[in-house]
Amino acid sequence: MSSYYNFKKIQVIPGSEDLLNIILSKIQRKTPTVIHPGYKISRIREFYMRKIKFAQDCFDEKLDHITGEFPKLDEIHPFYADLMNVLYDRDHYKLALGQISKAKHLIDSVAKDYTRLVKFGDSLYRCKQLKVAALGRMATIIKRQKDSLTYLEQVRQHLARLPSIDPNTRTLLVCGYPNVGKSSFMNKLTRADVDVQPYAFTTKSLFVGHMDYKYLRWQLIDTPGILDHPLEDRNTIEMQSVTALAHLRACVLFFIDLSEECGFSIDAQLNLYNTIKPLFAGKPTVMVVNKIDKKRMEDLDAPTRERIEAMLARDGVTLAQQSCYTDEGVIAVRDTACDLLIAARADMKLRSHRVQDVLNKLHVAQPQARDDVARPAFVPEAALERQRAAKEMVRDPDTGELVPLKRSMTLARDVEAEHGGAGVYNVNLKDRYLLANDDWKQDIIPELMDGKNIADFIDPDIAERLAALEEEEERLIAEGFYDDNTPDLTPAELETRARAKIIRDKKALARAAHSSLATMPRMELHGRLDPRPERITRRLNTLPILARRLAAKGKDLPATAQLMRSVSQGGWRAAAEDPAYARKPSEVMKMRRLEGDQKNRQLMGLAPGKAQYNQAIKEVRFTQRGPNLMAKRGESDRHIMTKMPKHLFSGKRTIGKTDRR
Amino acid sequence: MAVRAQFENSNDIGVFAKLTNSYCLVAIGGSENFYSVFESELQDVVPIIHTSIGGTRIIGRLTAGNRHGLLVPNTTTDQELQHLRNALPDSVALQRVEERLSALGNVIACNDYVALIHPDLDRETEEIIADTLKVEVFRHAIADQLLVGTYCALSNNGGLVHPKTSVQDQDELSSLLQIPLIAGSVNRGAGHVGSGLVVNDWAAFAGLDTTSTELSVIENIFKLQDAQPQYIVNEMRDAIIDSVV
Repeated sequence: MSSYYNFKKIQVIPGSEDLLNIILSKIQRKTPTVIHPGYKISRIREFYMRKIKFAQDCFDEKLDHITGEFPKLDEIHPFYADLMNVLYDRDHYKLALGQISKAKHLIDSVAKDYTRLVKFGDSLYRCKQLKVAALGRMATIIKRQKDSLTYLEQVRQHLARLPSIDPNTRTLLVCGYPNVGKSSFMNKLTRADVDVQPYAFTTKSLFVGHMDYKYLRWQLIDTPGILDHPLEDRNTIEMQSVTALAHLRACVLFFIDLSEECGFSIDAQLNLYNTIKPLFAGKPTVMVVNKIDKKRMEDLDAPTRERIEAMLARDGVTLAQQSCYTDEGVIAVRDTACDLLIAARADMKLRSHRVQDVLNKLHVAQPQARDDVARPAFVPEAALERQRAAKEMVRDPDTGELVPLKRSMTLARDVEAEHGGAGVYNVNLKDRYLLANDDWKQDIIPELMDGKNIADFIDPDIAERLAALEEEEERLIAEGFYDDNTPDLTPAELETRARAKIIRDKKALARAAHSSLATMPRMELHGRLDPRPERITRRLNTLPILARRLAAKGKDLPATAQLMRSVSQGGWRAAAEDPAYARKPSEVMKMRRLEGDQKNRQLMGLAPGKAQYNQAIKEVRFTQRGPNLMAKRGESDRHIMTKMPKHLFSGKRTIGKTDRR
Repeated sequence: MAVRAQFENSNDIGVFAKLTNSYCLVAIGGSENFYSVFESELQDVVPIIHTSIGGTRIIGRLTAGNRHGLLVPNTTTDQELQHLRNALPDSVALQRVEERLSALGNVIACNDYVALIHPDLDRETEEIIADTLKVEVFRHAIADQLLVGTYCALSNNGGLVHPKTSVQDQDELSSLLQIPLIAGSVNRGAGHVGSGLVVNDWAAFAGLDTTSTELSVIENIFKLQDAQPQYIVNEMRDAIIDSVV
């Protein structure tokens, strides 16, 4: 909650000149800069429109940021809203933010107008002039915001220095005439270290300090002194106090100084109390009589005392007396105030519906006895001894005061620090073993011994137990516990089973026989030079088998099968010799040459026969002999003539010009 | 005495430690700081044992135990078992449990007399719990949560249960366990009490984030240093209301 009212995060507001510089340099950095008059006019227009739009975006972002970051007076807690009104003047603040937001709209409309105009620009020069004009007008608008920006920067700096007061937490609010000892009280209870001086208005703004009481955090607010005059005459310093009194749901501590050392009479102080009393309505209030080392309530003359007591009785205000000088009653005042406030807050919260959720946290369920068994706590004697020792007090030799006796203990942390600290020191887990003999502690116990896991023998009587189990097992076997006692089968069932077994065996045999047959290697199917083994040709020659089967049935092979047969048995020649499929000899030759050429590319273009080929090979070898002997580069080696061709690496490179130009 | 502690920047110290009236298990961490917090309170009173369970450091959630015994899950290695046996006093029974819900610390909440267990635990496991820990066993849920070990912290003096436990459930549980109970939180409002707090009959350790209100509730309900549970209702009532509403 407190972080919600943290105004320290607002970013620095640049002055108008700085803001302009920031944005103009951003435009220069983040938009394209190169344009030529020779470009297409649409491209030139687009170039300048982009600049204008980008400028508008930048201004928008900056100004939005400024208006967004400052707290909105209508949305924040009324205490802060009023405090800001007192400190910075609400109208001025709103006007400044309004001006900034207005400037943003003006810039938007300028940008809109000029992008429209650039659309009609007919040359680079004109477009550029329009852009310059647009940026110029935007700059003028920003320059006019100079005062608003400076003011907002000042407000930001002041806001960041405001104490972070949480308006909703438990708060004690100290108020009263100047110089009655409010800040001294604050310094006594918290570590806020407020300046205390013997003159009025030492404290010129709100100060906040924190303290602990009853397991809770408390916020103590020190306010500047208030004089007794009408609200309209109050200055800014006093108004801060009034704002805090008006808006914070706190316990009010109204300080009075009966000794009149502060320079204000008792009457004046009581008048002030009566004047600002409406601000205390509904809040627990304590009238704190300060400086009782000088004058107490009891030392007053009877009429004044009675007047004060009547006043307190009328308003239901508690009276407390203290002296910051002698420390008398300071803690009592704190306790009174805190108890009053927490009771009031709890009372208020108990009335809300949310309290139903916490009732169980306030309910200690007590057990109802369900039997007569006693279930006492178990605290070892050593623990009780330690508790007694912790309460032991000794007299401090220097001051003579009773202080708790401190015993030095060597902790594992100290040992660790001695041996090189965390990460270096390795704790020995065996040191704290509880064994019959301390010498056994560091013994290395193997995991496995004689092929057996030692952990399995952790029970001393494991062998006996195992023997007992085995004995029982034997007994069970002997007693026929595990015997198969399924009922006998009828002869018919037995026969069915025997037959099923025969079928299963036969199936298994067939499967085995099939899988043991040699499978055809792929290369065997596509021809090879050496004669095929007999076992393969037997399986390949399916046509004779087919023919034989058909003949047995009195049928003939189909024509296509016959052709296949002739081809497979005699090759192309056989097919060619077949009168039914006769080809011209020239055709057959062509096919052969094609076939041969495709097979050996080394023979390509050479005369048929080996003679020319052999000659060619011979000559190649001869020419290569020299370079090969010297291990020189040959023409077939990879070679890069020029590593960086000048024409590819000089001049401008924009789009797609690295490979050719 | 209630003490705040932190295990390697984690406030869930109940995950990394197990505290009973006769021993204390502490996870092996990068430094001895966590161990020393326990040492400064318990040294020479009960053995404080560095250990891992199944090679992990979440020993508080994997084990369940009390003064009479310690139950470890089936993931515990033989070496760890041997180490624990050597380090524990002979009066403490050590038993490895074959149980599907192997995070025993999450499914079992017990003091020296009574144990609450997850309703899905095996019947055999239930028997082992009753025999080893010498407790009465009840299958029960806390605030509709079945992981009873996660959502409560018990000692023989009292117990802290999940902050959303209804008053009726509290009374029922309290009669079952025969100890005073209160609903509360640890670690600035966290409801998993079992993992933020370890406690026995004379000491308590809570996460470092635990507020002073929470800590004083703990001190009072567990009757640490002669505190009494009624103090919560009488003296701390306003402070609790103001801090939680």
